Amino acid sequence: MKRVKRLTYLGVALASSTILVACAGEQKLTGKAAEYAQMTPEALAEHLIFAEGGIKLDEATQEGGTVLERQRQDEVQKICSGGGRAGLTAESTARLIEASRSSTVKPEGGVKLGDWKAGEAVARSGFGFRVGHRDDDHSSRDPGGNCYACHQMDPNEPTYGTLGPSLMNYGKIRGTSDAVLNYAYEVIYSPHTYFPCTHMPRFGANGVLTQTQIADVMAYLLDPESPVNQ
Amino acid sequence: MAIKRPFLAAVGLALWFPLATTFAADTDRAPEEILTDLIEETGSPYLSQSQQNLMMMADNPAYWTAEEGEELFYTPRGPNTVSLEGCDFGKGPGVLDGAYAEMPRYFADVNQVMHLEDRLVHCMTTLQGFSADDPAVKKRHGSGSDMMKLQTFIGSKSNGYPWNPPMEHPMEIALRDAGEVLFNRRAGPMDFSCATCHSEEGKRIRASVLPNVNNPKEWTKAISWPAFRVGHDNVRSTQHRVRGCYWQMRQGLSVPGSDAALAIISYWTDQARGEPAILPDMKR
Repeated sequence: MKRVKRLTYLGVALASSTILVACAGEQKLTGKAAEYAQMTPEALAEHLIFAEGGIKLDEATQEGGTVLERQRQDEVQKICSGGGRAGLTAESTARLIEASRSSTVKPEGGVKLGDWKAGEAVARSGFGFRVGHRDDDHSSRDPGGNCYACHQMDPNEPTYGTLGPSLMNYGKIRGTSDAVLNYAYEVIYSPHTYFPCTHMPRFGANGVLTQTQIADVMAYLLDPESPVNQ
Repeated sequence: MAIKRPFLAAVGLALWFPLATTFAADTDRAPEEILTDLIEETGSPYLSQSQQNLMMMADNPAYWTAEEGEELFYTPRGPNTVSLEGCDFGKGPGVLDGAYAEMPRYFADVNQVMHLEDRLVHCMTTLQGFSADDPAVKKRHGSGSDMMKLQTFIGSKSNGYPWNPPMEHPMEIALRDAGEVLFNRRAGPMDFSCATCHSEEGKRIRASVLPNVNNPKEWTKAISWPAFRVGHDNVRSTQHRVRGCYWQMRQGLSVPGSDAALAIISYWTDQARGEPAILPDMKR
């Protein structure tokens, strides 16, 4: 009985392996299907953007150059694309923090608060850097920081995002010591120094905001007169 | 009446058993009923964020677009004056029920993975003989375009069907896997990727609650296009959503019909696998 069973199993196994071979034979890959199937997902993703026309690369960008340069990743972007914070190792975290810290440029004469009213306008504006269609024209107005897309700030502003933490009473809680000012500047300039692989953009390092705009946003966060601290 | 009921029950059972072995398609539920069920099941703030949209869904303007698409589909058109009934969307020529829920898929006749828009372009240019520059093919956006009318009609034929894109052909798998990489790929002045906004539940941009790519019951609504976008006053397509996300991320223009767009769509459809499509949907 046992032997019969074993023979049956053997027969089934043989038959199914024949079917598998037959199927594999039919599925002879050609053309792009063959090309794609042999690439790693990472290599194929790059190939689809840069070689297969997935993104319109020749368009001019507001920062100068073309979309081609914009789609190329720098070290910080590369490190944080593989699963974000969860994908970090001790080694890549150290490299990330070093890249972030070394790219941070402080204002000559030290970090100071600017004008909170100008900072509020920056915090509310999502203008800037859009390309592809209805491109943002930076000569018509300055790009904004769009802080409200992700953060609560003024308690009287009900439409705030929650991707980032609430910044309500930011200055009331922390005060305006040099240490706080330098920390806030560094976070806005390149937040990976303190929050590796955060979702927050590097507003200074990527040239989204000027040093003056950063000082104004800092005033909106820290100035005791700012509505954020009322 | 007394005879009818047991008979219906028997027919119901006979129909139900073979379906239950795969996925149970919920095709007799209206889009708003499917959405209501998902809200009750999950309590998701993303799914339930617009009570107003939920109430308007029964009168979704996309139904008009779908009706116009149905007429276009069965009308002999193009230089070859044939209807689109000869077009195979993956389940045989002219078979539309549930076909869109199983796209993107590999089509042996072109040795290529295609999504609905790609397949429509293919059939309109080959079967019907339209030139690629003909407005019927070239105009991709707006409720008034042939392409949106046809997509809305064909898409609606998958309402209630569980997303079930085939993942057998090596090209289908390769594109899905590359799509996951693209979804997480940070680039541009804002360092954004799709995952920036779509990897947690209940998060908001301003007042808009965002769907999580890792929660299929939320994600099914996110990918249920064509949908009428109230703010745009137009029915929008999957390709339009991809383009919009790249624009908001401040990355370059995502080229419709490109394999990169297809890879993203392959990944995101796979992430909703098994959950019912809500078609046509209505979004803010």
